[in-house]
Amino acid sequence: MQVKVAIGTIALMLTMVILGYSVLREPTRLEHFAAAELGRSIETGANLYNNNCANCHGVDGKSEECYDSASGELIGCQGLPLNYQPLLCGDATDRMIAMNWQGTKQAFIQSTIASGRPGTVMPTWSDQFGGPMRPDQIRNLANFVLNWESEELCSGPVITFDWAENVEDFLAAFPDGDGANGKALFVTYGCSGCHGVPDEGVAAAVGPDLSAIAETGATRVEGQTAEQYVYHSILLPNDFIAPECPNGPCAGPPSAMPANFSLRMATNPQDMSDILAYLFGN
Amino acid sequence: MATFFDQVKEMGFKQAFVAKSDEAVERLTAGMNISDIRSALRGDEPRRPNPRLRPHADGFWLHIRPSFYHNEITRVYPTFHLGWLSTFMFVWETITGIFLMIFYTPSPLIAYSNMWNILSNVPLGQLMRNMHRLGAEVMVLVVALHMLRTFVTGSYKKPRQFTWVTGMLLLVLTLMLSFSGYLLPWDQLSYWALTVFLSGAESAPAPPVINQNILLILQGGPSLGAGGLLRWYLLHVLLMPLLLGIFFFVHYYKVVLHGFSLPPGREEIGEDSAKRVPKNERTYFIPDILTSEVMWTALLSLFLVAGALWFWDAPLEHHADPVVTPLHVVAPWYLSWSQGWLKLAPKTLVIGFIPALLVAFIVMPYFEIGKSRRYADRRVGLSIAMLFIAFMMVSNWMGTPRFRVQSSPDMEVATKLLPQEGVSPILGIPPDYLWEGEYLPGQVVDGNPHLTYGLEVFAQQMVRHSCTNYPGTTIGGSVLDDCEENDHRMPDPYATMTITQVQNGLMGIDINISALDPENPDNYLYSLNWPSFRHVDSNYEEECTFINKRC
Ligand code: HEM
Repeated sequence: MQVKVAIGTIALMLTMVILGYSVLREPTRLEHFAAAELGRSIETGANLYNNNCANCHGVDGKSEECYDSASGELIGCQGLPLNYQPLLCGDATDRMIAMNWQGTKQAFIQSTIASGRPGTVMPTWSDQFGGPMRPDQIRNLANFVLNWESEELCSGPVITFDWAENVEDFLAAFPDGDGANGKALFVTYGCSGCHGVPDEGVAAAVGPDLSAIAETGATRVEGQTAEQYVYHSILLPNDFIAPECPNGPCAGPPSAMPANFSLRMATNPQDMSDILAYLFGN
Repeated sequence: MATFFDQVKEMGFKQAFVAKSDEAVERLTAGMNISDIRSALRGDEPRRPNPRLRPHADGFWLHIRPSFYHNEITRVYPTFHLGWLSTFMFVWETITGIFLMIFYTPSPLIAYSNMWNILSNVPLGQLMRNMHRLGAEVMVLVVALHMLRTFVTGSYKKPRQFTWVTGMLLLVLTLMLSFSGYLLPWDQLSYWALTVFLSGAESAPAPPVINQNILLILQGGPSLGAGGLLRWYLLHVLLMPLLLGIFFFVHYYKVVLHGFSLPPGREEIGEDSAKRVPKNERTYFIPDILTSEVMWTALLSLFLVAGALWFWDAPLEHHADPVVTPLHVVAPWYLSWSQGWLKLAPKTLVIGFIPALLVAFIVMPYFEIGKSRRYADRRVGLSIAMLFIAFMMVSNWMGTPRFRVQSSPDMEVATKLLPQEGVSPILGIPPDYLWEGEYLPGQVVDGNPHLTYGLEVFAQQMVRHSCTNYPGTTIGGSVLDDCEENDHRMPDPYATMTITQVQNGLMGIDINISALDPENPDNYLYSLNWPSFRHVDSNYEEECTFINKRC
């Protein structure tokens, strides 16, 4: 019996020692697990993003490279960039200030994904509002988007451009549009994905045909010249929906045309000048 | 009786304090004062009248324990202390379970993040969770072994038939307790295990009206959701423990009523002398049996704590997703046999057979009425039992993912390397060694043993599923021997693994596998792009160090 008492006591003491040891390592362990939870949430978010969001916001969140989810073809990006300084940098980001958002950044992104953006092509995602995703998925997605915030992204200057109201004023600042370069840009910006290539007879697929836009453009909105109309439509596609698309009347508003060119061309406004030169044949 | 103050006046504070303490201890132990306890621990003979019997007569806890055992049953054989250890496991599960309950809400909206909160924010939370989950599995094992031993020693025979019946109920309740807890983390593992279990209810051999209503009750609605989680939670924390507690006392009462059966060879055939233990063959509960129970309890605690800390880790997969069916739904090992049976026989038959088998087990002592408990006289019964155990083990093995229908070979390779759930040799690569680039299976990356190992496993898998010595592999021979020589193999495949940086701290790992159709070289027979992500903080490499999760 004495042996049993000894063995039992030793086992009990060892158990206590082990418990004590596990208490000591607890703070680091908790930290690791907190980081692991976020890490795994970001991983899941990355998968969700690829399957649901990349076709509008681009594979790297810059709204530059979008592939049709069914056919896999390169298409124009319809969403705003997310891997984007004014959205992500700082505690109160430019975008939150512009939308007059009082809450946290995480909540801003999460609730935007959850409810969608009425009046745009951004759908409602949360199943609590009739969308397809559960709350945990929305959270994973938000964590993934927030993870684009990096020193590299946030240290550079914010690139915005104050677009002139009138095309004349704009062209006065950026004259000498290069039509040949404009044609190349027409493809790289993804315009040709929907509008075809007007001067080569590649037919428009989704958006209105632009081969005669120099004449028809003037008939769209009263008081706008063709050039003013095209300039305005590139920057604010939702203001006027063209009557005729290849598959019947054009849908909208919201227009199927991405609303992010004013942002994307901000780095290099001369691109606008070149594209106008291409479309107006000069 | 003198008050404490009178005593202080009479003999001074110190003496009075000792006297009062002695009195308190005697009350708490229902009869033993401090010097009695010390003498028991020293192993002295008890004074007369024996104070060590009074806790059995007057105390609540010990009145359900016999005050002495026959010498023959105090060693490890024949009980192996398994009955007591089953009791201890139930207490253990209750304590760790209450701890977990504090941090858990049974709602699909929050249950899964509660689990992560327990792991990442509750001090000792992971240890508690591991101990509870490991404890659940150990409890099933201990109870099953206890059943096996009572069968082998013939202790279910007259007059202990009803003890066996209540024991069987306890076994079923133990299994149900374990399984109902399985659902609560609300991850893919638990969700789909329960979904498969419930689909069994649907195909029971009963009229559809009954089946559908049972299903509706068990899943708490037309599909498994908030209602179902709440029900299974209540089963787990309320109904099952309550029933187990009730039958536990019935079981204990019967055990004491009939006395512990002696080792089969010790008695005349047909005799039951457990209650007539001659004075010189008695071992008293206090102190001998108690000491030995405490010792076994301490050893098992040590095993559980050390196991939960270093060797065994409770799994937590991704959040439950009703629309993403995992490639393989895994039942816990103690129910895996039922999945094995489903591969052998039609579902309705299996679902009908299980309750029938249970009833057969329960009533067994009333039909198996051979008088002798001796092993030599029970060859048939013991052989049947051994065959049954072998059959259960084979069934269990057949129920594991290793014995299953293969999916397409390219998927087999990809999910082996980058599984939807759990860890793998590629996920186990420490993040510092995930170097960007495009790699071939079997490629040796200088200065990067982890990646090299991952690519070696990649090559092995490619060989296994193509039966060709994959270009660039140093392996061959043995792996080539057990490659899958069947229709499911890729002719002359090409495969790569690409690692790219997607975001700060987030790596993308893509596996690409393609194989042309030899009969129609313009067509791909197999073409798979399997993208996956790995965050530097996800810490899969640590999971790889546990025996139940190896990479
Ligand atoms: C939670 C589950 C259970 C608990 C806590 C429990 C507890 C106990 C205890 C403490 C004993 C005293 C003898 C010993 O330690 O071996 C005992 C005896 C016994 N148990 Fe259990 N038991 C459980 C499950 C079962 C099961 C599953 C069976 C069989 C189907 C069973 C059948 C018996 C029988 C027949 C005896 C009498 C053994 C004898 O007199 O030698 N018990 N049980």
